[in-house]
Amino acid sequence: MGPDQRFLGVLDTSPFRIAIVYSIVFAIGAAALIYAVDFAVSRVVDGSTDTLIEAEVQGLREQMLVLSRSDFIELVEQRSQDQDVRGAVYLMVDPQLRPVAGNVPAWPKINSKEKWFLFKVQVPFGDETREHEMRARYLPLAGGYQMLVGHDVQERQDVKSLMMRGLIAAVLLTLLLGLGGGFWMGRRILAQAGAISAVATQIMRGDLSQRLPVRDADDEINTLAREINTMLDKIEQLTLGMRTVLDSAAHDLRTPLNRLQASAEGAMSSLTPGSAERRVLERVTAEVDRMRSTLDALLRIALAETGTVAREQVDLSELVGSVVELYAPVSEERGIVLESSVAPGAQVQGNRQLLAQALANLLDNAIKFTPDGGHIRVALDGSGSAPQVIVEDNGPGIPADKREMVLGRRVRLDEARNFPGSGLGLSLVAAVTKLHGAHLVLDDAGPGLKVSLKF
Amino acid sequence: MHILIVEDDEVARDYLAKALREAGHTVDVAGNGLEGLHMASSIAVDLAIVDRMLPKMDGLALVQSLRATGRKMPVLILSALGDVDDRITGLRAGGDDYLTKPYHMAELLARIDALARRGDTGNAEASTKLKLADLELDRMTRRVMRNGKKIELTAREFQLLEFMMRHSGQVVTRTMLLEGVWDYHFDPQTNVIDVHISRLRQAIDKDFDKPLLHTVRGAGYSLREDE
Repeated sequence: MGPDQRFLGVLDTSPFRIAIVYSIVFAIGAAALIYAVDFAVSRVVDGSTDTLIEAEVQGLREQMLVLSRSDFIELVEQRSQDQDVRGAVYLMVDPQLRPVAGNVPAWPKINSKEKWFLFKVQVPFGDETREHEMRARYLPLAGGYQMLVGHDVQERQDVKSLMMRGLIAAVLLTLLLGLGGGFWMGRRILAQAGAISAVATQIMRGDLSQRLPVRDADDEINTLAREINTMLDKIEQLTLGMRTVLDSAAHDLRTPLNRLQASAEGAMSSLTPGSAERRVLERVTAEVDRMRSTLDALLRIALAETGTVAREQVDLSELVGSVVELYAPVSEERGIVLESSVAPGAQVQGNRQLLAQALANLLDNAIKFTPDGGHIRVALDGSGSAPQVIVEDNGPGIPADKREMVLGRRVRLDEARNFPGSGLGLSLVAAVTKLHGAHLVLDDAGPGLKVSLKF
Repeated sequence: MHILIVEDDEVARDYLAKALREAGHTVDVAGNGLEGLHMASSIAVDLAIVDRMLPKMDGLALVQSLRATGRKMPVLILSALGDVDDRITGLRAGGDDYLTKPYHMAELLARIDALARRGDTGNAEASTKLKLADLELDRMTRRVMRNGKKIELTAREFQLLEFMMRHSGQVVTRTMLLEGVWDYHFDPQTNVIDVHISRLRQAIDKDFDKPLLHTVRGAGYSLREDE
């Protein structure tokens, strides 16, 4: 795994996905919260400002009834200068909208039908001016005069936007922490799962003594690993038991066969060559040979199936080349063209002897069933750890409906009965293929059989 | 040659002893592992044939004990077990060769012969040039000459001839060739070895009066100078 793949791998882990889902839910919740806070703050603050302005307007209205215009203007001017009421704004204009009193320089563009409105005013701020937002109430006066009474709400706006920014930053930080935490947990899970799958691969390759790593903790992964280890103990016991049964079966069959061979050979040595008795004993030893090769094949198939064979790094390119070379003279004698293309550098973890025998069986079959002057092609494609071996002949092939069947034990098609052999050749190939975690595919070579071993 | 047979199967043991005596060897027999170890340690034995599964002491343990006490005589292990890995464990335990039951007596005799002469051919092992009559093989230059004439061989034919020349005068079986030249430990069913041998024969014997590569009926082949 390269760094990119490892990174993408973490994105696929369940903790990371859960973190994403929770982050989204949290973000929606946070947005609702921000909205609610904004709404509540606006109501409280605007409400209090409005009450203040309303009271001022009420006071001015009362003064308006008792004061002359010039006195009223003076009053407004006075109030405008009053520093006690911080942030209060007033503006009185004549019918031509010319200011007559107040602390706002010009009449803002407003829709006079609305009672309440917002406008902006440049306010001195140290040596410079700053634009402040004002909330104001519109008040029509007698004689076409108009006025507005308001309050500087810039500070309120500042607090609100500061609060908003704080809230948004907090939400973003939480999201980031959530995703980061998810990523970290994903990596942890991935590391644990990686250790487990590395061991599992070794176990599948036949090393049954391997156990999953267990840490001193009672989390789910450790509990699972412990349970799988218990299961592996049982599988190991069963497999070793099978191996013991296989060994004793081998012993109990080979020993009497050996006695039979010894007795027949012993008796034969005292008989004159060509005599009837000797011919009978020659037949006996020939049968012993046949039984031995069947027994060898069956035991090797069973052995491959238990998976309890030693493995090493096997140079598949060298092996395919050497098996082809072993069979080349035989095929040449039959006038068969044995064509081979072997890609160099293909390596597999496996048992060299079993692989060699499987390849030899495939070539043996191909030569057996290819007519004189036929054509056989052996190819090793791809390199690295996922090579593919193809053995293709132009013999009669195997009918599509019988291809599954021939991989089972002792199946010989009727067409093959008059060819020599134990009928276990392809079964052994199948067992060895399985042992190496490869796929065995039988195909039509049109005409002929195409066998592919995909590692 | 003085040969010790450690085998618990009486029928197989008696026939083996008889056949070895007929072949001109002195034979001692033991029926279990302990007895075998005792005899191998007290008698001057040139070669031991040890069954892998024995009562009282396992055949592999016997070989290991022998090696641990510094006994270097060649040991051939007979086995009635599966194979593949058993062969490797047998050789690792200190065996020099490994034969699975049932076996042909000719096969066993050929292997014993090869084991016995392994000591003698120690020099040939090291020397770069092998010679038999007018046939010469140079391992360094990878050249083969017969009667001063250069013979062209493929890489495999060269290996095959080298193996035969190392065992010249002995009988070499098909399985010995398959093991020694190809490092394959299985029966290839078809007569693949015979065809390889007949090609080699074409190359080294065809244009010459005296054939060197002989077929030994029922056993295998032999590279030798006929008297």
